[in-house]
Amino acid sequence: MIFVAVGTQFSFDRLIQYMDEWAEANDEAVFAQIGDGDYEPKHMKWERFLDGDQYNGYIKDSTAFVSHAGMGNIISSRQHQTPIIVINRQFELGEHRNNHQADGLLWMGKLPGVYTATTQEDLFAHLSKRESLDCPAESENHKREQLVTFLGDYIDGTLS
Amino acid sequence: MSKKQKILAISSPGGHWIQLNKICNEMESRFDVVYATPGTQYGSQKSHRKIHNITDASADSKLKLIPLAFQLLWIMIKERPSAIISTGAAPGAIAVLIAKVLPIKTIWVDSIANVAKLSRSGEMVKNHANLVVTQWEPLSDGKKIRYQGSVL
Repeated sequence: MIFVAVGTQFSFDRLIQYMDEWAEANDEAVFAQIGDGDYEPKHMKWERFLDGDQYNGYIKDSTAFVSHAGMGNIISSRQHQTPIIVINRQFELGEHRNNHQADGLLWMGKLPGVYTATTQEDLFAHLSKRESLDCPAESENHKREQLVTFLGDYIDGTLS
Repeated sequence: MSKKQKILAISSPGGHWIQLNKICNEMESRFDVVYATPGTQYGSQKSHRKIHNITDASADSKLKLIPLAFQLLWIMIKERPSAIISTGAAPGAIAVLIAKVLPIKTIWVDSIANVAKLSRSGEMVKNHANLVVTQWEPLSDGKKIRYQGSVL
């Protein structure tokens, strides 16, 4: 199953249309959270909004998670060890109030388990390889442990 | 065991707040962590946490920085943290500048979104915070700006 989500702040009809097209052409279940979008999918199941448990459940159960380039989704996908494909909202197309999701792709693309797309072609190329997308093991989280321990040691004076 | 030290954790909403939580949730076993962020939309998820609501200001809304500064000063006087930690942006930078003149350790963790250079607010506080950390190794200069892991 592929899970698609656009978040709660803005709609992202372009992504939903891409994925509806993909769902029509491919023999794979797709579930989409579409927000307030005008476009209603015809070839995949969808809801406008999900509660946190449902949302995380879909991320956990999916082969790949397709979303806008939001930091929360990057973190959630890592937690559930699901590879994520992110596509940026474009200011020029009225999809966001600025273009910071385009900048987001720069750092997100450097993380293991994160795949970036700026076009429908990029997105479909990643999806065609969905079974072999890499997802980082839990042990990858040592970077956060390292940071938290370092900061804690600094605060309590263990480290000067 | 002695009483846990108190930390005041401050950030803007959105990505900064997500990162702050990834760091500070894990610190709650070791420290008494109180939070300050604009909006109380996150308050209900983990109700045991203490979250101060502050004015949402940015470098682009300079007038709002004034009430924000007074709120932060008041929170620091009331909470008496031994350290403050921020992932950005403007509220954290203001907090660092205020805490600098108080007996409070100041820690700046630059947002993971800043991969090519330090954030604008990070640049503003880098010579004032006691500890400045980047989440991207190439941005560390090995002295003032340190790299010791990242939230992801």
